[in-house]
Amino acid sequence: MKRSYIPVGLLLVVLMLNIIFTQYMVHQYFYENYTNTIIAAVVNVLLFPVAFIIYKKGVNVND
Amino acid sequence: MSDKNNKIPFNEDNYTHNINRNNERKLDRRGFMKTLVGAAGVFAVSSLPWGVMAAKELNRLGDKKYPKHKIADLDKVPVGDAVDFHFPGEHDSAILIRLSEKKFVAYQNACTHLRCPVFWQKDEGEMLCPCHHGKFDVETGAPIAGPPRRPLPEIHVKVENGAVYAVGVKRYEA
Repeated sequence: MKRSYIPVGLLLVVLMLNIIFTQYMVHQYFYENYTNTIIAAVVNVLLFPVAFIIYKKGVNVND
Repeated sequence: MSDKNNKIPFNEDNYTHNINRNNERKLDRRGFMKTLVGAAGVFAVSSLPWGVMAAKELNRLGDKKYPKHKIADLDKVPVGDAVDFHFPGEHDSAILIRLSEKKFVAYQNACTHLRCPVFWQKDEGEMLCPCHHGKFDVETGAPIAGPPRRPLPEIHVKVENGAVYAVGVKRYEA
């Protein structure tokens, strides 16, 4: 049972991307660039299943 | 005497004997990852309303349609003069200014500071709010002096058959 901390790191990267895209989304909304807002929102939503997949793989293989 | 509890203090490192803590406060690798996935979920859910609002804006649902409203006949407004009118509702006072033979501008004339009425000053070529001496640029409605920081909402006007009509209003900038 050797633990891998790679999934943890990947999840931290996902969280960082979440923060970046959320801020980008809010700012683009107030600058009235609504297409960019929607793109950032979609990316944010897609990052959740990515995070979930990373979690599943990390837990099953290494624990 | 003999059945008295003489084993006080108990020989264990636990002051709450009826609670089994069982490492419940320990944040292990798996628990940490769960937290991160949960955070990603919160981010995903919280970005949904922004996407919906942006989509609404793109579909122009935020722009209300108003029936066009006749302001004045052309020959009743000399160049350089202003006419007060109401648009889009009867309580939304507005001002139309004829800048040249062909050029009309119109704004909702509630000052963006404290909603005092804004007046057209022909001699200075500026719009003035007399309450706190806020001034607005007549070409754009942008504030140029005094306390107001936001532009006056512009009303779109159209000249048709010798009369000026108000056809729409720009969004009030918050």
